[in-house]
Amino acid sequence: MKLTFWSTKTKERRATVLAGLILLQGLCALFFIGDVVEDFRLDGHLDDPHLLLESVAAVALVGGVAFLMLELRGLLSRMSDMQTGLDIASGHLAEVIETFFDEWKLTAAERDVAIMILKGLDNDTIAQMRKTAAGTVRAQATSVYAKSATDGRAQFISLFMEELMAGKMGPVDAEVAHATGQNDDSLPPGHPHSSKS
Amino acid sequence: MVDIAKQSSGRTSARDIAVWDPLIRLIHWTLALTILLNGAFIEAESEMHEWIGYIALSLVGVRLIWGLIGPKHARFAAFPPSPARVSRHIKAMLRGDQTIHLSHNPLGALMTYNIWLTVIAIGVTGYMMTTLTFFGIDWVEEAHETIFGWLLFSIALHIAGVAFDTWRSGVNLVRAMVSGRKNIPQGREVE
Repeated sequence: MKLTFWSTKTKERRATVLAGLILLQGLCALFFIGDVVEDFRLDGHLDDPHLLLESVAAVALVGGVAFLMLELRGLLSRMSDMQTGLDIASGHLAEVIETFFDEWKLTAAERDVAIMILKGLDNDTIAQMRKTAAGTVRAQATSVYAKSATDGRAQFISLFMEELMAGKMGPVDAEVAHATGQNDDSLPPGHPHSSKS
Repeated sequence: MVDIAKQSSGRTSARDIAVWDPLIRLIHWTLALTILLNGAFIEAESEMHEWIGYIALSLVGVRLIWGLIGPKHARFAAFPPSPARVSRHIKAMLRGDQTIHLSHNPLGALMTYNIWLTVIAIGVTGYMMTTLTFFGIDWVEEAHETIFGWLLFSIALHIAGVAFDTWRSGVNLVRAMVSGRKNIPQGREVE
């Protein structure tokens, strides 16, 4: 995730630089075109080498601007594709997490604590953020582990890691998990997906 | 899901949508700067005034090309100047429909075209004043100034429109033109 984020930033910078270049080159192109037009109006010859060179420069600049614009459009569309992918991934992960929490019948407070655990906060920090005693958070965390049939923080987090790495983040999977989990009480409580994997 | 998406205080929530690419933003603010400079600070008879005018013209020129070949939200097709869309938009607003337009909303689109045309008209009349044929001819100079007055009026209306739509839709449009992203409030339709 971190790596992708970094490269998104780089791409954004690249896009900004490209945009700046397009504007600068556009201005230069206009300058040369204006100069060519002006010179031509003054002496009316197109065969003058100076004028010829200027015309070539103008054409090259216009071509360059057009090329950079296409390049920028390509870059932007790659960026938006990537963003869509990320959104889908994080959206689906959120769905999976929600499904799991529903399965385990976590209370609202336990959900908050569970999410903060997933985000890597320790019990003391969670207690501070929720303005409760550390003991309360410990009890809630223990209850979360018990309901999810895990033996602690590491295993609890790895439940979701497994989900990520298995690439099972599709909404269909989540729905199937939800349905099977509700209809089949014989499933082990810890893993809503265990019937599928 | 909604809860978790909200709580994952991440870099961009799923509802932060990139709409204005860097080229559009650069053009927008540079154009604003050229208008400000030429309108308020630079001596009207000076060569600097002419150069800044040419820069403004080429900014609009680049934007018009970008409107043909640019990405989705930058294209004219995303915000066609259509009275039918405007009247539908106004009716929707009166109904209290809070659909959010990712590109310009139909009224904003009209203002966009208006400002481009106005800047072009000012540039052209300004250029005419530098040519021998039209130098010192009254109606050209008057047109240049009258159209500039229209531009000022349009900009005032443009800013009022941005303020109004920011209030109505809850999307901070100024922020969108700086960062390029529109922050769409929870559970709102986009178009």
